[in-house]
Amino acid sequence: MVLPKFEYKKAQSVAEAVALYKEQKGKAQYLAGGTDLIPLVKLGLSTPKTVIDLKGIEELKVISRRDGWLAIGANVTLFNLKNDPLVMKYFPALYGSLDATSCETLQMRGTIGGNILQDTRCLEYNQSREWRTARGFCFKMGGKECNVVKGARACFSNYCSDNAPSLITLSAQVKLAGPKGERTVKLESLYTGDGRKPFALEAGEILTQILIPMKKTKGAYEKLRVRDSIDYPLVGVAVSVTGARARVCVGGVGLAPRVYDLKNVGDAAVKEAAEKAYADARPVTNATLTPVYRKKMVGVLLKRTIKKVLQEGK
Amino acid sequence: MKTMKVTFQINDEKVTLLVKPYETLLETLRERLALTGAKEACGMGACGACTVVVNGIPLRSCLVLAPEIDGANIVTVEGLRKDGKLHPLQEAFMEKGAVQCGFCTSGMIMTAKALLDRNKRPTKKEIVRTISSNICRCTGYKKIVEAVEDASKRL
Repeated sequence: MVLPKFEYKKAQSVAEAVALYKEQKGKAQYLAGGTDLIPLVKLGLSTPKTVIDLKGIEELKVISRRDGWLAIGANVTLFNLKNDPLVMKYFPALYGSLDATSCETLQMRGTIGGNILQDTRCLEYNQSREWRTARGFCFKMGGKECNVVKGARACFSNYCSDNAPSLITLSAQVKLAGPKGERTVKLESLYTGDGRKPFALEAGEILTQILIPMKKTKGAYEKLRVRDSIDYPLVGVAVSVTGARARVCVGGVGLAPRVYDLKNVGDAAVKEAAEKAYADARPVTNATLTPVYRKKMVGVLLKRTIKKVLQEGK
Repeated sequence: MKTMKVTFQINDEKVTLLVKPYETLLETLRERLALTGAKEACGMGACGACTVVVNGIPLRSCLVLAPEIDGANIVTVEGLRKDGKLHPLQEAFMEKGAVQCGFCTSGMIMTAKALLDRNKRPTKKEIVRTISSNICRCTGYKKIVEAVEDASKRL
């Protein structure tokens, strides 16, 4: 598949990348591993005039531990992060989701920052231009309505990051740098719920670091997919338990992960959370399994993941 | 057209080329260097038929932009033969009958090579895990796993 024309620039620092973005007057896209961006550009779903490569920025490739936080550079690959001994020891939910992300080869290329900021997906959206033209452009492509839920004036695409849900259960924060300066926000506040612009990012902002409080947790990640070797999640559930409390996050269904805080992991509390997550999930016919099955699996996976955490006693 | 100059090492040879900024490494290999071992199947990074080893890491060359490889060290399936002798993986793939239609083979071998380079004696489970990055639509996985196991013993 041939790529459309664009310019390529490589930045050596965050400041240089932001300056390059400003020069391009908003018509640029940042490139990290490219496992999400390049296919989108090939399909004409992203049309950058310039691609700004962030892989030359050394400071974004570092994992460091300071002041009670684990600071993960956004360009750390999923594979390197998975093999960091601290992740396995302190954050088993994150280890589980990293291990379940796509396949090993793509884990070696894809970065944690890119995994968090991947575009939302839909069977009617991630298609060639010819396919989409024949069908009529949907809401997310700049059209007037959704092609899956007829008459709906909203987008129902799915946010398919495996690692964002597990990071949310670990109360992770993200550091952003852009033309207007730096800011740090909670990861769960990064989602807009709007398919046309899924992330609350200012133009030109770069995700530079992921910060996780250095607290030992028990945890697990469970994922529903058709092919275990590579697929995106059709439902993903992450659980992290600290002391008696548990934090659960459901991803893969809809535009943003959903968080549930449990005061304890007793049967009644787990059942209540599973019922609530089931009721909240609104899958539609835009993935490879039926919405009814995916909805049901939200509750099933939630209970299964908590059970796994309790059994393994990690 | 605006082109970019890139210099890299490929199969122990130094190459300097002018590439398009929006050209993939796969296109560079196949169309500029006539190295047609890496194949294009899905073109979207899903299948692994275009896998080559860049700086020791197996990469899907259909997702890598040519300007990104400036300064890199690339090994393709063509570069595995040393002094007229095939790589143990290539020998094992032939002997174990791990090739059916052959379209996935070079990607499979390069993915397996990167595994054996970082882990000389992988367990069967590790081989299966690594090989599952690549798709074989003839579904000949059993023989492929056997061939990688066999090759690891020959190294």
